[in-house]
Amino acid sequence: MAINQDLFHYPEAAKELFIRTEDITFRDGTRVSAEEIWEFLTKEAPVRFPHAFDNGRYNRNRISGDIALPYSLKDEYLSLTFNDRMLKAKQKGIPVAFVQGGQCVDPYYAAGAIALRPASVNQWAACQREGVTFTQAQVLREDDKERASQSISFEVCNTAGYEYIQEGSLPVDMIAPYSCLRCSDVSYSLEAHRHGKRQDVKLFLGDFPMADQKNKEWAVEYFAENIKRLIRSIDELTGRETTEEDLRKEIILHNEGRRLSREIAELWWAPDTPPTNGKDRRAILQMGGMEVHGDPEASLCVLREGKRFIEERVRKGVKGHGLIDKPARIFLCGSCVFPSDYRIEEGGGVIVGTDNHWSNISTLVEETGDPYYNLAKATLSYPYEQNVYERAKWTAEQIRKSRADGVLFMYNWGCNTQSAMARMLCDEIKKLVNVPTLIIEHEFQASQSEQLLNRVSAFVEML
Amino acid sequence: MSKVTAFAGVDVGSLGTKTVIMAEGEIIGSAIIRTGINTEENGWNGLNAALENAGLTRDDLAYVVATGYGRISAPYANKTVTEITCHAKGAHYIHPQTKTIIDMGGQDCKAIRLDDDGNVADFAMNDKCAAGTGRFLEVMANVFKVSLDELGPLSLSATEVLPVSSTCTVFAESETVSLLARGEKPENIIVGIHHAISKRVGGMFSRVGVQNDVFFSGGVAKNVGMRKALEEALQIKIVEPRKDPQLAGAIGAAVIAESAWKRGR
Repeated sequence: MAINQDLFHYPEAAKELFIRTEDITFRDGTRVSAEEIWEFLTKEAPVRFPHAFDNGRYNRNRISGDIALPYSLKDEYLSLTFNDRMLKAKQKGIPVAFVQGGQCVDPYYAAGAIALRPASVNQWAACQREGVTFTQAQVLREDDKERASQSISFEVCNTAGYEYIQEGSLPVDMIAPYSCLRCSDVSYSLEAHRHGKRQDVKLFLGDFPMADQKNKEWAVEYFAENIKRLIRSIDELTGRETTEEDLRKEIILHNEGRRLSREIAELWWAPDTPPTNGKDRRAILQMGGMEVHGDPEASLCVLREGKRFIEERVRKGVKGHGLIDKPARIFLCGSCVFPSDYRIEEGGGVIVGTDNHWSNISTLVEETGDPYYNLAKATLSYPYEQNVYERAKWTAEQIRKSRADGVLFMYNWGCNTQSAMARMLCDEIKKLVNVPTLIIEHEFQASQSEQLLNRVSAFVEML
Repeated sequence: MSKVTAFAGVDVGSLGTKTVIMAEGEIIGSAIIRTGINTEENGWNGLNAALENAGLTRDDLAYVVATGYGRISAPYANKTVTEITCHAKGAHYIHPQTKTIIDMGGQDCKAIRLDDDGNVADFAMNDKCAAGTGRFLEVMANVFKVSLDELGPLSLSATEVLPVSSTCTVFAESETVSLLARGEKPENIIVGIHHAISKRVGGMFSRVGVQNDVFFSGGVAKNVGMRKALEEALQIKIVEPRKDPQLAGAIGAAVIAESAWKRGR
């Protein structure tokens, strides 16, 4: 049967400029040149991952199309080589941990492991399926969801991770959630592990103290002990002994990513018309968390180069690809989910920021002194995990900095924590910055419903 | 004869496709047709019917705005706008003092708050539950073997309001069948259904904050029983529309079309 699929092609005309850009250096010391990346994206990847090249309106993750922005292509490269790189790391005996609870990943890398959040594990699983079209990929995602709904809960989200780990098709060595009030996902993954077949996968639960924890000395010290316990657990997998110095070095490395991300955000927020579209904003800022591609060094390479391009675009007044002049600026709060950037941009808006992972990306860790204590102090200070008033104050500050015109609070169906918080947080934000807010419940499924996108479009029109 | 510069608003909803033709701020033609399975064709058919009603041809149209769920397949439109914005503009056109809109369409129900210029200030939308939708009432009409248009007048002859607790379409249908089986009068059940829906949608209105004047738009707004039940449940007075409230979205789209054309967009 012939399949009619509108596929994106990188234009040959963009090659010359792109291949002159920098290599990516990976954590294991290997490198990939821009020319090799170009070859992969134009020849190999479209054959192996046709779904990722689907250029249809309903593919909210479709390729950005900003071909003059090298980091956008490098981000695609890192996403599409996820399975290749993870399998290579596994062959070298590097353990992989499935992490949850908004934690930073410094301790995992200090101890010689790779830490992946649910979205990254999903990306890994998606890259295991080669040669599938966009529609086929959607059907497979729905199948994943159904399987997890049946075995865990019908409210479950981020499903590929749980089930693939338990089935053994994703060779994860450790499940390591923090018990913070971030999302209900933690309980789902614990349930998946409890009933699953892979009891050999190590389980680590970081016990997260609650209520003004960052200002209580005992809580910081208690959580520092949890981080020590985490590192000892990883050491049991690797057979090595992680030192304080290892952790300190890792914190310095990850702080560079966090700093770069903050600096890029300040640059990006300055012009009335942002220098990139929403997808490329999200891609570069997420890299500052050093988790998203499973390789902090690779993320740093892209961040350093990306900052220079953003600086240049802002200086020259370059308008983001597909954006209208002075779009309505939306700050996104809530769960880890987001509406289609492209649909928002079609309607004359743009997402300028998020609160979720930005909370930990924008929190620097003290570099001198006891690294365990410093990391614990930083983790317990993440604004997203504070009480609603403190979280609202921090969010209001980000709204002012990003010059957002409105706030969209979007929570996943089944994300009980964020749904309970939505109204109160929005009311507080309104008091502090007096911008319109809209709360939307989102169902985790392969494609976003027209009803959901309709509300978002109406909100953009309203702004 | 001088050439007319006309503007069209096409609202392709789940049950009905509504089209309005405007010239110099006045409605000169309109059409309401049943929505079929070909979304694009529905829009074209609606447009042709409204043009015929106005005595115009496609060449007379300067600008077309499409709205409703079918707007994503509207090659005939110069611009697409959500029905939330269009209902706001349409209600403001029909009744400029409108501050709150209750919109009950075929597949969803919305509460919209407006500013003085007819712009959306806030909105809430129910698309999870069938209560408050035309489709729900259509299913109920089918149980009573009457047309949708007859439900409202029938409910006005009720002697008491029977409680109907289910607002899930399937369970409400079973509950209605049970009430009929035990000999209850259809009109008392119908008024109970209207009251159940009113209570269910009440929460949305408290979220956006009800302010007078309140305008009731969408196909369900033609149901006098529903209108009465809403007035009682929400303790509000709904304004008498001087135009067909089912056309509100299409009118808004036509208003936006004229304004966009004048601004050169």
